[in-house]
Amino acid sequence: MNCIECKELLVRYIEGLLDKFPKQTVAEHLKDCPSCQAELQELTALHDRLVNNGKAVAQSDLENNVMNQIVREQNIRLKAATRATDALKIRRTIMKSPVTRIAAAAAMIIVAVLGINYFMAPSVTWAQVIEPILNAKTIVFDLVLGTDETGVVMHEIVVGSRMRRTMSNMPTVTMIIDTDNAKLLALDTQAKTAAYADIEGDLGDRHRSFIKFVRQIIRQLQEGQVEQLGEQLIDGQKAIGFVGKGQNEAVTIWADPETALPIRIEAQIGQEFSFIMKNFELDADVDESLVSMDVPDGYTLEETNIELGNSNEEDFVESLRIWAEIIGDGTFPEAIGTESAMKQMPLLVQKVTAMQVSEEKGTQIGMSFAKGMLFHQTLENQGQWKYAGAGVKLGDAEKAIFWYRPKDSKTYRVIYGDLSVKDVAPENLPK
Amino acid sequence: MSETDRYYIERCLDGHPDDFRYIVRRYQAILLANLAGKLGDRDRAEEAAQETLVRAYFNMGKLKKPDSFFSWLLGIADRVAKEHQRKEQLQRQRQIVRSFSEEAPATELSQDYALETAIAELPETYRQVVLLRYYGDHSCNRIAEQLSMPLGTVTKTLSRAYAMLRTSLQQQEQAEVYEV
Repeated sequence: MNCIECKELLVRYIEGLLDKFPKQTVAEHLKDCPSCQAELQELTALHDRLVNNGKAVAQSDLENNVMNQIVREQNIRLKAATRATDALKIRRTIMKSPVTRIAAAAAMIIVAVLGINYFMAPSVTWAQVIEPILNAKTIVFDLVLGTDETGVVMHEIVVGSRMRRTMSNMPTVTMIIDTDNAKLLALDTQAKTAAYADIEGDLGDRHRSFIKFVRQIIRQLQEGQVEQLGEQLIDGQKAIGFVGKGQNEAVTIWADPETALPIRIEAQIGQEFSFIMKNFELDADVDESLVSMDVPDGYTLEETNIELGNSNEEDFVESLRIWAEIIGDGTFPEAIGTESAMKQMPLLVQKVTAMQVSEEKGTQIGMSFAKGMLFHQTLENQGQWKYAGAGVKLGDAEKAIFWYRPKDSKTYRVIYGDLSVKDVAPENLPK
Repeated sequence: MSETDRYYIERCLDGHPDDFRYIVRRYQAILLANLAGKLGDRDRAEEAAQETLVRAYFNMGKLKKPDSFFSWLLGIADRVAKEHQRKEQLQRQRQIVRSFSEEAPATELSQDYALETAIAELPETYRQVVLLRYYGDHSCNRIAEQLSMPLGTVTKTLSRAYAMLRTSLQQQEQAEVYEV
């Protein structure tokens, strides 16, 4: 080996990239060659300099700054979008808006999520911390769909099998839900209108309240499925944490280590849906009239009953059409699912209002949207679905926007940008 | 942390914006090294790196080939750097107009400014390999995969990059000697 050949290989030698034989040859040449030794020394120095600087740079941490800035900018963008729709609202005529009924549809989406099946062997409860959650007669809390920073917040008052719910992104809407009789009363506090909705159907007699849902999961967890997380500061309070994992969901409870009262509960269901419960008040003195299913004084009842029962693929396709055509001005959204649907609800209400369609039509749009999302939620359980429609234009027959595998089916159902649906073998799915 | 860029990008586009943090973790050091060399100090580099990542996040939907995310990201970083340089130049000119006597404020240099400058001046492919190897902590095999080139080409590129870096560093040292 001569010096030129040797120098050619030195970087690879330093980096440990040479095979055994060339490595030996280089090493032997180096023994007797001061010139190549000097070269090696210089290259090693440069190598060390790169490695050291790399390590030094790696210590700075942009993660939180970047994520915070993204959240801030997203909020600014959202606000700009709301301002644009607010401008529409001002131009609104005196025409009665179908907001109450669409809001009922919104309620439907979030109630429906609790219809999800889960598979866990029934067993004993696991800790003292859950006792108050299971036994409180009234519970007041905030529920966040999604994450603390960006999620839609709902304030819930639960009294027995009844509950009252208000939402941060639709401040004029109040919902009262009777889980025993599968009835929902939606109130528009601004227009003073009320509407009943039927929430029978796909949900059957499954749970219709978040608290019931959480209770059910807690009851069915076996000791072995619960892990202790130790003590931490949660929402500014000292808390002890437990996490219980089922097949399709995980519930984390943070409780006061002294009183065992809950501070924060986080639940993750399937791949897409998560919610947070916090700011708990247990067994608070709650005025029962707050959860009355009667139409309050001074409110007009809107006559048409809303039925939001069973849903199928056709409903889902229709909801995608509404999403692209009405909410997205011709483009499919970035993401679909309960959280996104809830966030888009105010925009849908305003856009439908601006369209000045008949009341009946407006109600129908809200219902179709909710039903479609309800169908999507039933898929959540199976996990065999994928959304790929972000940015796709409505009418684009070339692009697949969604596919899922129905239970016990060998092929997938693929929905395209023109909303046609085809059966496709797994190996032929879009990449 | 071991998922591909494509995986995280698709997760973000599927409505999991939070997964963008894995991308940040993967590329922050690389961007900082690249930008520090161009902009001259750590604070400016951090600001520009942050802006690059935020811009990447909001434009992710426009990325046609998620597999070449890294090249795309470096492209954004280069644009951000240029914009910052232009802005600073304007500011400096204004300052000069305002006061002749006032010196430009001294900037705090990062760990090894000379090295970072040398890296920033490397041609695209060489720069990518060096950044991924030492600031992204990638093995040569992984770089080969990421940049879709044979392993032999990666190692050769790395060797040449060393030679270029040495030349560039020597020139910088000489320039400093003359300045003094």
